[in-house]
Amino acid sequence: MKINVAYLKKFVAFDLEDPALKELLAGIGLEVAEALTVDGQTVLDIEITPNRPDWLSHYGVAREIAAANGQARFLPLDVNGVALVPQGDAAAAPTAAAPATGFSIAIEDASDCWRYSGAIVRDVRVGESDPAVQKLLISLGLRPINNIVDVSNLVMMTCGQPLHIFDLEQLQGGQIRVRRARKNEKIRLLDEREVALDENFLLIADASRPLALAGIMGGLDSGITSKTRHIFIESACFNPVVIRRAARLLGFKTDASFRFERGMDVEATIPALKMSLLMLGQTQPPSFFQDVYPRPLTPTVVPLEKDYPGRLAGIAITPETSAAILQRLGFQLQDQGSRWQVQVPSHRVDVSCKQDLVEEIIRIHGYKHLQADIPLSANPLLRIDREREIALRLKNQLADVGFNEVINYVFQSPEENALFDPQPQPLTLKNPLGKDFSVMKNSLLAGLLKNTALNANQNWEKVALFEIGNIFGRHQGKIREEKKLAISVYGLQQKKDWRSPEAMFDFSYFKSLLAMLGKRLRLDFAFRKSTHPAYAGPCCFVIEWNGRPCGRCGEVVPEFCRYFKLDHPVFAAEIDLALLFREVKENRFQMWKRFPAVRRDFTFLMAKTVSFEELRACLERLRPEALESFELTDVFQGASVPADKVSFSMGFTYRAQDRTLTGDEVNGIHLEFTGKLVEQLHLIQR
Amino acid sequence: MIDELKKEIEEVRQSFLNEIAQIQSPDKLAALKERYLSRKKGAVSQFLLRLREFPPREKPAAGQLINQLKATIETELAGREASIGTASGPEAPWSDPSLPASDLPVGRFHLIADIQRQIEDLFLNLGYEIAVGPEVELEDYNFTKLNIPEFHPARDEQDTFFLDGFDDMVLRTHTSPMQVRYMLAHRPPLKIISPGKAFRKDDPDATHSPCFHQVEGLLVDRGINFSHLKGTLELFLRSFFGSGLNLRFRPGYFPFTEPSAEVDISCFMCSPAGTSGAGAASGPNPDCRVCKGSGWLEILGSGMVHPQVLLNCGIDPETYSGFAFGVGIERLAMIKFGVPDLRLLYENDLRLLGQFG
Repeated sequence: MKINVAYLKKFVAFDLEDPALKELLAGIGLEVAEALTVDGQTVLDIEITPNRPDWLSHYGVAREIAAANGQARFLPLDVNGVALVPQGDAAAAPTAAAPATGFSIAIEDASDCWRYSGAIVRDVRVGESDPAVQKLLISLGLRPINNIVDVSNLVMMTCGQPLHIFDLEQLQGGQIRVRRARKNEKIRLLDEREVALDENFLLIADASRPLALAGIMGGLDSGITSKTRHIFIESACFNPVVIRRAARLLGFKTDASFRFERGMDVEATIPALKMSLLMLGQTQPPSFFQDVYPRPLTPTVVPLEKDYPGRLAGIAITPETSAAILQRLGFQLQDQGSRWQVQVPSHRVDVSCKQDLVEEIIRIHGYKHLQADIPLSANPLLRIDREREIALRLKNQLADVGFNEVINYVFQSPEENALFDPQPQPLTLKNPLGKDFSVMKNSLLAGLLKNTALNANQNWEKVALFEIGNIFGRHQGKIREEKKLAISVYGLQQKKDWRSPEAMFDFSYFKSLLAMLGKRLRLDFAFRKSTHPAYAGPCCFVIEWNGRPCGRCGEVVPEFCRYFKLDHPVFAAEIDLALLFREVKENRFQMWKRFPAVRRDFTFLMAKTVSFEELRACLERLRPEALESFELTDVFQGASVPADKVSFSMGFTYRAQDRTLTGDEVNGIHLEFTGKLVEQLHLIQR
Repeated sequence: MIDELKKEIEEVRQSFLNEIAQIQSPDKLAALKERYLSRKKGAVSQFLLRLREFPPREKPAAGQLINQLKATIETELAGREASIGTASGPEAPWSDPSLPASDLPVGRFHLIADIQRQIEDLFLNLGYEIAVGPEVELEDYNFTKLNIPEFHPARDEQDTFFLDGFDDMVLRTHTSPMQVRYMLAHRPPLKIISPGKAFRKDDPDATHSPCFHQVEGLLVDRGINFSHLKGTLELFLRSFFGSGLNLRFRPGYFPFTEPSAEVDISCFMCSPAGTSGAGAASGPNPDCRVCKGSGWLEILGSGMVHPQVLLNCGIDPETYSGFAFGVGIERLAMIKFGVPDLRLLYENDLRLLGQFG
């Protein structure tokens, strides 16, 4: 909303330089976005919050300044010395109410149009407005059109009420009807666009056709032209929801619709109409005037305990202060001892409860008087946030070994989405910012690959990243939203120097990393061979704990790396955090075994066709009770090993809970155990 | 067979111990080492070669005896070497401790996540609980229950992403719907913060992002007033930015709070600690790049929970009152750490990631 400071001073007398005025306005909730100088005049561009349509005028802002500044004097609204009472008052109404012309106004549904006031002015001369009026309108960002249309705009900028003026000779049948549009009706608007209508649109119509979209824009056919001789002026108040719905369907807003959808003062139609008549030089009663007001407004009355403002604000405010502020803002107070009945002025469509009144009081009293106080309220229990703790443990562990956290948008392109999810039906946005952001991501990994590519392009030799975030999908007609941890590595794990040789990231490293993360949570991850289109055939695993899948990992297929222009392999994993949150349990203390352990080594040849995973499963299956742990200590292929075999060396640690195992006992257990292994897996002992 | 081996090993052990006791020169010590530990001809290797002849049942025990012998020999040799030096002389191998340190890997948290964690810690210290909600939210919770009915102009201020096929769902435009979720599930006193992502249909530019992070705060109890809100925010913002900071409350509008307040902090660039922002004696620097000369920086929105919101969530506004606030983490990052462009926070360039967290 643009406010011309010189014009503002026509309605309120105050003595403040512009910076002080800005400060005063900000203090009461009128944020000055920009102060401009237009043709030598100061114009403030003020941000008006949607709850204050009464501020969308010079008069409304003047009223606020008068209330906030003790020195300021609110001046009566007048045109050439003829006073206009701002609130609906019989004295302000044009006196001739006889529609002798046979003209009439009808509202079909009083819930669509709360009030409709209209007047006819005959024998106008269409021409340019007075240069001062043109200059004022230009300073407010409006284009002067002609002396008639300019009056309607000036009235709106002055007291907020949008008017619409019709060429009377284009109105057929001597009547104005406020009604819903019918299906298949059409209207050509003032801006020459044609709109197909239906019941969602409220119309101003004559006996036979639509004349204007109520509260939004007039029609081209009934607009003012240079040939116009007689005019009909509309000053109405429409249901905000009706106007907003129609404007939304149209996909554009006008100065009028912007005001009506926020809620206009139902009592302002008459003063605004009178103002326009005076501005058009009509000092005599008009030839036609009618005010259709089917259900006159009952003022809102809010009871307010006198001590409540102080209690809600947490500061001392005397009842006198509260009362004075409310009265300055136009509220009427009826004293009932410990409380007031507060009558809300009709232009304050935003005030309906006592909290609203308190905001009015402390706003004018000054937010600077608020105290700083710490509440003593306490939660009955302080929950230990396990999920946060588990996530932080994982994050710390990853950062400690050189991984950087990233955060990406939750939406991505359909192509990126297709990479890591073979599911056919992604969750898509109805109104995305563009195709690149049109799908809710079903995996965090495409984002990590994109980040990896960006950094690889900056010649980073090592890119190790992780992200914690939600992924989305559809599941049985519902939206699936799950929290995931994604990890990826690319490039050099170890740079070559005088201490160490160069080492690229490989799956062996990546698997160790994942196992370490599991261990951090006391979960012993297993890696079950699997297949997935995003991962290279030989190197794709489901991460399992206790037989339950909790993620997937592997080497990203080379095609994807090429898609992101990456030269080296990427190893990636995505882990279901919700599952980890459920599975991580608190331990109870367990006494460790106090008796000494005995270790036995076992070296053997195994066929290359048998994977270590199969060996491990077999070990677990045959595991003797006394076997505490086992480890793989060496893997060897060489001249002494047949070509179809691999040599493995393992260490087995035996220990009993209740006694020291003797050498013979251990030998017996070990031999029986390894004997079974040899038999089942056709090993050759060395 | 094993007893025989045991006897032989014992003999070798004794003769080794006798010999080593008499050796005084490094050369002779080296020769002794060669005789006992040489891979090909050493005494220990000879025993190991014989291991094959043992039946499997005796192999482990035999191996253990040989290993014990080897261990004894190695220990004694090492001890002797330490006292008389090795053949190559008593000099220690070259080493230079002033060589540069290894570049061990260090990773970091994302700045946004790190700020979020700091805020969480501050409020956990104040006894708040952390409650998190879904990013795809019911339109009812995101708007209607928060006193923003359909066709309310305030919906324009939060340009919303909608989903195909789910007409009652939106990408949440703020973290405030978590207030609703929490109030529907708990009775006062309520004292939570709710951090997370939120979404608005803004094209990315220096100060806008379609995806951003907020921390929502909510406290509902008997007798909660506006000054409690100010005290809490003052404590939070001074803890986060520095103790000299001043706060300015301005009237604002949020449909789900009444009264509402926009909160500004004094510009830390041109209104240093101890002064009071725009009101300071020296005044703000008119050329300040951070506050553009106003002396104040907009930091968050807040207010007393609207009685209609309490009612919508089954809480009696005559008995209880509460405050709520929502702060943008990206905004904090830009102000406190001088990140000039919001988009940088979502590029995930290691040159930025390496600077924080």
